[in-house]
Amino acid sequence: MSPSVLICDDSNMARKQVLRSLPEQWRTSVQTATNGAEALTILRDNSVEVLFLDLTMPGIDGIGVLQGIQKLKLSCSVFVISADIQPEMQSKVKALGAKEFIRKPVKPDVLINYLQQHGLL
Amino acid sequence: MNEFHLTEDQQDCLQELINIAMGQASDQLARYLDTFVYLKVPSIESVAAKELIEALNQQQNTMAVVSQGFFGYEGIRGEALLVYQDEDSGRIADLLGYEPDELSQDEQLIDISSILTTTFLNVFARQIDNQMSYNAPKLLPSVQNSLSEHLQQMTFNWDLALKVNINYQVTDYSFNCNMILLIPETAIINIKKVLDRILAEF
Repeated sequence: MSPSVLICDDSNMARKQVLRSLPEQWRTSVQTATNGAEALTILRDNSVEVLFLDLTMPGIDGIGVLQGIQKLKLSCSVFVISADIQPEMQSKVKALGAKEFIRKPVKPDVLINYLQQHGLL
Repeated sequence: MNEFHLTEDQQDCLQELINIAMGQASDQLARYLDTFVYLKVPSIESVAAKELIEALNQQQNTMAVVSQGFFGYEGIRGEALLVYQDEDSGRIADLLGYEPDELSQDEQLIDISSILTTTFLNVFARQIDNQMSYNAPKLLPSVQNSLSEHLQQMTFNWDLALKVNINYQVTDYSFNCNMILLIPETAIINIKKVLDRILAEF
């Protein structure tokens, strides 16, 4: 069974990069959001199980989404996928509940490996 | 004439390549300054050669420009300009925390510019299967007239400038600088081909 997935990134190309890195059986149940506000709306109304989240976005950014998830006490697994690779940012997102920090551009083997590590595959 | 007209997909692809390059450049800058660098989404615009010279000449408070040439394969080459505003120069010196006699303010600006330029371009080049080499960076003396002279004396004909507006905020400080990439038409055509090749993979 494939979990319900949300991909949040302001770049169309980046969303596609995540999509094609996903296990094939997962790709049928994917929603997308182009900014943090959209993502929070979807998260609130649906039962998203796995969220792939960009950080640097206009408006509500990835940090804002992570804070929103904490506030709403949602239980989805969040994987941050970002170009902002500073060590301090990596620890910050983990402190805010993200399972992993994955550097852009995302590679399929790396993503699959993390999903396995967290028992999602 | 604007050879750099991009489709929506090409623009999105270029923006993402630039975001990734910017992210790694900020990481290098953060390590160098031993602090955290807050990064905003950089905005990109393309400017025709003539318009750029006019715009830069009108910019009264430009205080410093550091210029560095770059060369890759397949005709991808150009000149990267980092343009700083007057009010930011002192802050950069504060940030770097050099002792007054250690390095001059000019040398600090050159250092920081070269870190940003070479990291940015290395990462950008790697993503498009290219590799860059660089000239030594140089600070243009007393900007006002020398900038347009410098632009006119470039060793290659550049047709278009890709202007990346970068805003760095470093904890208590913030400074803005523009990174302007001057590139010849052959390089523009090549970059578009590469963008299409990347897009075709999806």
